[in-house]
Amino acid sequence: MIAKVDLEEVLQVAGRNGDFAEVFMERSTQTRVSMEAGKIERVISGRDQGAGIRVVRGENTAYGYTTDLTRDGLIKLAHQVAVGGQDDAQNSKLSTESGDMSNNVETAGKTGFEIGAGLKAKAEAQTEGGAVPGAAETPTPIVLQKRESLVSLPIEQRPDKVGIDRKVALVKEAEQAARSKDEQLIRQVSAGYADIIQQVTIANSEGVYVEDERVRSRLVVHVVASDGKVIQTGYDSAGGTKGFELFEEVKAADLGMRAAERALLMLKARRAPAGRMDVVISGEAGGTMIHEACGHGLEADLVQKNLSVYAGRKGEQVASELVTVIDDGTISGKYGSFRFDDEGNPAQRNVLIEKGILQKFMYDRITSQKDGVNPTGNARRETFRYRPIPRMSTTYLAPGEHSPEEIIRETDSGLFVRRMGGGQVNTTTGDFVFEVLEGYLIKDGKIDEPVRGATLTGNGPEVLQKIDRVGNDPGFTIGTCGKDGQGVPVSDAQPTIRIPDLVVGGILEDEGDN
Amino acid sequence: MNRDEKLVSSELVAAVIEEAKDRNVEHAEAFFDREEELSIEVREGEVENLKIAQDAGLGVRVIQSGRLGYAYTTGLTRGDVVGTLEAALANARAASEDAYYTLPQPAKNYPELDIDDSSLGEVSLEEKIELARRIERSGRSFDQLVRITEQVSYEEVRFEIAIANTEGISLTSKGSFCGGVAAFVAGKDGDLQTGFSVDFVRKLKELDVEAIGKEAASKAVRMLGAQRLKTKRVPVIMDPYVVASFLGMMASALSAEAVQKGRSLFAGKVGERVASTEVNIADDGARPGGILSSPFDGEGVPTQRTVLVEGGVLQGFLHNSYTAAKDGVSSTGNAVRGSFQSPPQLGSTNFYLSAGKCKPGEIIRGTGEGFYLTEVMGMHTANPISGDFSLGAAGIWIHNGELTTPVRGMVIAGNILELLDRVDAVGSDLRFFASKGAPTIRVANLTVSGQ
Repeated sequence: MIAKVDLEEVLQVAGRNGDFAEVFMERSTQTRVSMEAGKIERVISGRDQGAGIRVVRGENTAYGYTTDLTRDGLIKLAHQVAVGGQDDAQNSKLSTESGDMSNNVETAGKTGFEIGAGLKAKAEAQTEGGAVPGAAETPTPIVLQKRESLVSLPIEQRPDKVGIDRKVALVKEAEQAARSKDEQLIRQVSAGYADIIQQVTIANSEGVYVEDERVRSRLVVHVVASDGKVIQTGYDSAGGTKGFELFEEVKAADLGMRAAERALLMLKARRAPAGRMDVVISGEAGGTMIHEACGHGLEADLVQKNLSVYAGRKGEQVASELVTVIDDGTISGKYGSFRFDDEGNPAQRNVLIEKGILQKFMYDRITSQKDGVNPTGNARRETFRYRPIPRMSTTYLAPGEHSPEEIIRETDSGLFVRRMGGGQVNTTTGDFVFEVLEGYLIKDGKIDEPVRGATLTGNGPEVLQKIDRVGNDPGFTIGTCGKDGQGVPVSDAQPTIRIPDLVVGGILEDEGDN
Repeated sequence: MNRDEKLVSSELVAAVIEEAKDRNVEHAEAFFDREEELSIEVREGEVENLKIAQDAGLGVRVIQSGRLGYAYTTGLTRGDVVGTLEAALANARAASEDAYYTLPQPAKNYPELDIDDSSLGEVSLEEKIELARRIERSGRSFDQLVRITEQVSYEEVRFEIAIANTEGISLTSKGSFCGGVAAFVAGKDGDLQTGFSVDFVRKLKELDVEAIGKEAASKAVRMLGAQRLKTKRVPVIMDPYVVASFLGMMASALSAEAVQKGRSLFAGKVGERVASTEVNIADDGARPGGILSSPFDGEGVPTQRTVLVEGGVLQGFLHNSYTAAKDGVSSTGNAVRGSFQSPPQLGSTNFYLSAGKCKPGEIIRGTGEGFYLTEVMGMHTANPISGDFSLGAAGIWIHNGELTTPVRGMVIAGNILELLDRVDAVGSDLRFFASKGAPTIRVANLTVSGQ
């Protein structure tokens, strides 16, 4: 990649009008293998490289990226971002004046470029006061210093050292195991393997310099089963910040069989009843609900824009005393783990809610400065094509004291959720909806018949207050979390919990299955 | 050969085909995509985020001994061309054989479409910032109850693509689109509600920024005081945005790929009634002004209008070259490319439910008690294979043919086939939300679950 000394120059150019400048360089290689209809259909490999430059000034951010990773390419982009996308002729003119800050501010004003009224006001104030930092003298040189990480994310078998044939064999193993569950009823199996090696270099005008390599692998199996009348699907997945060793811990065949069993089970299930009922969510279900119904509302950008139900509630009891929620990017091997976040801040363990009391929000640099706190290592971006924003890493509800068996035994009737699907939350109101992939009725304290098509709806803060049992059996799942059009890998977990009186969407009992 | 020589557009894809022929590759295809993106987010009249981006990349697809391989790169030199081609060939060796893999031949005619707005390059950044500010102002001044700007942005994309293959196709195309997004929060007595609006167009002069701001603001304000009601089975009137969301789920089920792989709920039903007679659905990759309109698809096949459902009767499916070869029919020009990072997929272009005759106001007035559904949550959790959905729902309750109380936190559940079968009124207000278009519709009786 680009030499450190060249990055110092790029930052100098980019940051000449700003409070803060940053370069995020990325080189990634990916492999994807997928199988469907009994064939290895797609074998795809690719190289993706580019850099994003960000300049922050007051509350305004300019961001640009390019796939041209040469020194010249980056300097050109730095000029563009520094002046907010004016044309090249303008840039070259500005670059000749880069020694004189006050002149630049003026020039920017004259060309009419202003990142908002606030910036213009600020520029004027500086010019009038005559105390432009660094004016009429050489700007303070940026000296980059490398940060080392304390987080250990060992990779045993780098995916680029594993032949394509082994990846193909893995996908076939999962596919065949799924098909073997029932040759008749299983109509379609698709299995997909993917790996990525993402090498990043992050440097900023405050001297931070970080190099990191993130290696992730995953395997996903989808099964379609049909008896001719009803079509149902089953799904299972495994993934981690790991290399090919992941598939020594998680057997591809087991994944395929579990997905197939789920599809076959749902084929027999009748539709879930609609209405309010007690819901027990298994530890096996993963923490999608904590991620959606609670986690997003604790991301500082949403909080600061007043788009979160948790805004202004730090120190308050926002959940039942049984509830402790932690976001931890440092757990070895988890899909949402990293050594440094995408601003170069070290990954951290952050206790967000402790025994029901709101302790902390998740921050990136901009939001942490606004609140006058330290960054929490939650600044993440999908690729160099995006600016970083506050995101979760591995989010979980801390285990409690009850055994899952005990919790079910103490529930007269309701819904037992063994596997949760996707969900969505409106952070402003806290309203959420989740799908249940594998659900059962609870009758007389026992798990009874399976039901399909159920969804859980409710309000995040209300649900957190209502949780009255927390089990001792945490289970993790993986996902790709979407926010502002960016997808990032996350993991989440929760133990078995009970939520009394939750709205289950389904169908009215009296209308049957038509 | 100079491996460091930088190539662009038609030169680059021609170089791939040249190198492929030198290596006796049976079939090869190269796809180049360059995009320039501008995004301006404003809040309280200030530009909070500005994004300028340039992205370019190359994707190479090969068919060798009936096996398909794909590789891509952001590197654009002669050396990258060779490396990517060789990676694609290596990937093909690991894939399964399939006799139906094929690349299209050049066509005689391609639709002539006006998809590039050169004025985007002439309008200054300051003027575009002002467009974003106007979206915000029109929303914030709509009503004093509009309190927070959640998101307001102006966005534009300008692109250039080039496709070449060993069968003789060599095509280039330039295009652009622009649009605005608005989301506001309205507040009253501690209750906060959000409203959202989006519009993307081909021509900057067609962009009505004030309408975007007002629509988002009015949606937020009208939801204030929303409550959860008791579970009830009533007629549900869906606004165009909600119907368009459902269409996303239908589009995948109407692809020949889903049929051939046994995961379409429409499989084996061509010629049968699959929806009420009010329902007409089409895909039109050559639709004038359509956001996904293009003279040719992701493989270089001319685009066209394909009728999928007419008078409730299923007419056929969407095809690319592969599914068409397998079924012995012609491609409908539905090979779509998300980016150079993936091979072309079978997908929809401008996909829409055709307008009916009823005025939306009349549909509401003609409904004694019902639910006017304006927002669904969790559409991505709906199952396109089974057609089952269970979604969070918000909207306005209808009493005596009038919109009355705002409602939130409800759930609607059912199956898409049942829903289509129960459509008993289709509005005249067809509207596109980017690539999906729909009018208002009424569905006779759905369970709306609440307390």
